[in-house]
Amino acid sequence: MTNLKLNRRRFIGTTVAAGGLLASPAYLRRSMAQGSGEVNIWTYNDFVPQAFKEQFESETGIKVNVRLVDDQGKQFNLLAAEQPNPTVDIMTVAGHRFLQFIESDLLAPMDTGRLNNWDKINPTFSESDWATINGEKWGAPILSGMEVLSYNTDYVTAEEAQTWDTLFSEKYKGQTAYIIQDMLSIVMLMKGYDGNFIEYADDHERAAEIMAEIQEFMIEKKPLVRKYYDGGAEFQQMMVNQDILLGHSWNGPAAALINDGFPLAMSIPQEGSYGFVYTFNIAKNAPNADNAYTFLDALLSSPEIGASMTKASGFISTYKGADKFLNELERKSTSFPEEQLANLQFFRAEENELKYGLMDPAVEAIKAA
Amino acid sequence: MPSDTAQIHQRPGTSETPTFWGRMTRWTPYRALVDVIYGSPRRQFLILAIFPLIWVLTQHLGPMMQMARVSLTSAYPVAPDTETFFTLEHYMKFFGDSIFWQPFFRTLAFAFVFTFCTLIITYPVAYFLARHVSRRNQMLMLLLLLIPFWVGEIVRTYAIMILLGNTGAVNLVLKTLGLIDRPIPFMYTSFSMGVGTVYLTALYMLLPLYSALEKLPKSYNEAGADLGAGAWTRFRRITLPLTLEGIGSGCTLVFLISTGFYATPVLLGGPSTTVFAETIAGFFHVAGDQWPTGAAFATIMFLAALALTAMFQRIIKAMRKGDAR
Amino acid sequence: MTRGNRIFMACIYWAFVLYVFVPLILMILMGFKDSKFIGFPIRSWTLDWYTGVFNDGAVVSAFGYSIAIAVLSTLVSILVGTWIAVLLEGRKFVGRAVIFGLAVMPALVPGIISAIAFRIYARGLGIEPGMGAIIWAHAVHNVPFVVLVVMARLSTLPKSQLEAARDLGADPMVVFLRITLPYLIPAIVGASIFCLLLSFDDFVRSFFLGGYDPTLPVLIFAKLRSGMSPEINAIATVALVVTAAIGIWAERFTRRMNKDSQS
Repeated sequence: MTNLKLNRRRFIGTTVAAGGLLASPAYLRRSMAQGSGEVNIWTYNDFVPQAFKEQFESETGIKVNVRLVDDQGKQFNLLAAEQPNPTVDIMTVAGHRFLQFIESDLLAPMDTGRLNNWDKINPTFSESDWATINGEKWGAPILSGMEVLSYNTDYVTAEEAQTWDTLFSEKYKGQTAYIIQDMLSIVMLMKGYDGNFIEYADDHERAAEIMAEIQEFMIEKKPLVRKYYDGGAEFQQMMVNQDILLGHSWNGPAAALINDGFPLAMSIPQEGSYGFVYTFNIAKNAPNADNAYTFLDALLSSPEIGASMTKASGFISTYKGADKFLNELERKSTSFPEEQLANLQFFRAEENELKYGLMDPAVEAIKAA
Repeated sequence: MPSDTAQIHQRPGTSETPTFWGRMTRWTPYRALVDVIYGSPRRQFLILAIFPLIWVLTQHLGPMMQMARVSLTSAYPVAPDTETFFTLEHYMKFFGDSIFWQPFFRTLAFAFVFTFCTLIITYPVAYFLARHVSRRNQMLMLLLLLIPFWVGEIVRTYAIMILLGNTGAVNLVLKTLGLIDRPIPFMYTSFSMGVGTVYLTALYMLLPLYSALEKLPKSYNEAGADLGAGAWTRFRRITLPLTLEGIGSGCTLVFLISTGFYATPVLLGGPSTTVFAETIAGFFHVAGDQWPTGAAFATIMFLAALALTAMFQRIIKAMRKGDAR
Repeated sequence: MTRGNRIFMACIYWAFVLYVFVPLILMILMGFKDSKFIGFPIRSWTLDWYTGVFNDGAVVSAFGYSIAIAVLSTLVSILVGTWIAVLLEGRKFVGRAVIFGLAVMPALVPGIISAIAFRIYARGLGIEPGMGAIIWAHAVHNVPFVVLVVMARLSTLPKSQLEAARDLGADPMVVFLRITLPYLIPAIVGASIFCLLLSFDDFVRSFFLGGYDPTLPVLIFAKLRSGMSPEINAIATVALVVTAAIGIWAERFTRRMNKDSQS
């Protein structure tokens, strides 16, 4: 680098050389691969199965570069900062976040005609109402998640987990946790309102009234909660440390705990809950769009690939027949009784502007209270 | 040092084998260079100042001006086919709504308290190291304390969860000793947050304190003792004033670092310990499209921290002047 | 100093050592837990997480990458920071306060903000994300720490030494190189430790300015999403042992070099 000249102290020089040597394999591979094409992917850890990646690379000669991300907002910020010439081809967006990416003109519409294996996706996900925006499809659904009530079965009964009310009961004071943004939508469902705000599209005053009521409820219940958390890992740690006995969570992190033998169970309470879908999307002006389609088509080719994504993440596969490749515990941790699934609906993005316009200040107010 | 000074300039003729320095000072291009640089005090100053000036303007100010610009525009990133315009609304949002003031002042209060705690905890440690440990062992014992700081912030923070959780190490020990029946909920309080923050900041306090104490001559204290001053008086009248500089730079470092902490308060804090960094990050992460507001809030935080630091530096300076008299 | 006082101080020191090391020991311990999650109780033990670290090429290269970035960015920070400190300390001139304010500014900006500011600015300058961009951002962020530490040391430099050297006929350059710089060495070493730590530990700037090769914290953050597994503890422990070994080796090496140059 620019400072080698300065570098009169030999030991530092040696350290740098050693560091460079240790770090080099990745660059060597990168520069070697440039001839045969590549595809750049932003995704979460374990969303692209290692075995599949290796097989794809050896069969097509296309180098797969995975950049691990940990948050939807960061992907958005990163892509916005790279605009209009992104380095990325495929990114991972949650279905109800589509609109934000589309409105900022960051995604390219998905040409499903170029994906021979498109029909291997369960139509519940591929043809769902949230999946089509502006008359176009925007992503290939790969994994599905939902908001659930998770509880330690040594202390909390299945009966109690039938209702979200338990989360706000005096009995479990100081032993509950939830993600505050997600919980606002759920509390709206609890109180019989539409957490997607579609009903209030034409009546913003009513929407504001409802949000004020929900905000008051959350503030009133604030002394009962142990922690407003952000990430799945935090939730898992609180459960393992028994800092909490029950809480709202996504099914993925909870399933991972169940698969590890922790006495945990999930339910979709009777008041209902929301689901969301992770999709692989192609970025606008993607540098290797053709390779991206080749990659997606290969990824969708077999339910076994879907199953291995489920095993790694705990989220439910969107592939038809993926559950055949799961063991019993994994199947248990990724399935729900029919009557509970009937309570589930998907997050919708149409009224996000109204929704977040009211919710973001409410979150701040609840945190500050 | 005296031997050093004596060799500084090899007078011609006095030495048969000129040293590196001797040879260098006689080398013509070097002489020319020195003449150019030190030709006049004015030129010397200019040459010294030009590089730092360019650096701070382009590297330090540049990115921040970019942020300030974003904080004053109506929308960013700019969606296609839309016009942006200059606006102060993002700043008004902070001053217009009291819900943002609480995390703001809380952050400053936490930073003050934690800085003070770090000082109180590490001062005796640095004192012990510098005054009571033999020279040979000092470096070793200091290095011992540095080892844990090589572990990343997140991993260390999770280690603290394992320490303080309901089934954590502390509760486990207390329970085994029969001191408690049910676990004490240490986690997700300002206590756990303090434990985590001090853990992260201790090093930044320890090093300046140590270097200030280490160069304090022992004879000063002995003289104080000879004059009949008690241990406390000696500390207050001799040690403390002479280490003010170290205290000043340690506290400045820790204060600055702790106002910017994000991961530790988020992971270790409870529902009522939201800090301002979390509020700011919210505009970038959760909402994702409110960069200008986030940038405006960051600017406000930045100006506040800057003002407080400047004030603190001034106080330390005044105290040192007072002592000199 | 009385004996009792001394024993009291020793107790405080060792209590502090305990405070600093207990979480560290817990962290190392958890790397041997046979489960996907850390925490008590530990029912069975395994070495698999550790063997996994060495077999995982991604971890090894991320580690080397982080070390290289830390060392290179520290070199830049030390050069620039020392230069600024020398300019500012003990001089009175118009705009000194402004330059001081600007010099310490990067340390005051919350991580996420500075990361995004750097990312936008880098694009404006045409700097591609990657190793160079990360080194640049780390270097700029660490300069204030060098400035503060070096200025503190510089303010205690005995003027008499400088005058003595000048009286012996040394030119200002030689005075700087032979008196001022050696006097600053402890501060520079201390500041280097700060910089190396800050860089090695940084997540948010590395994330925003990095390309497709993750630094160690970026890799750990991504892995954290699928749970805080003992694997992460094993990675951190191995990283700790290796960096400590390099540190001790470097310290020995400099000590030997100093001895050589003295003899």
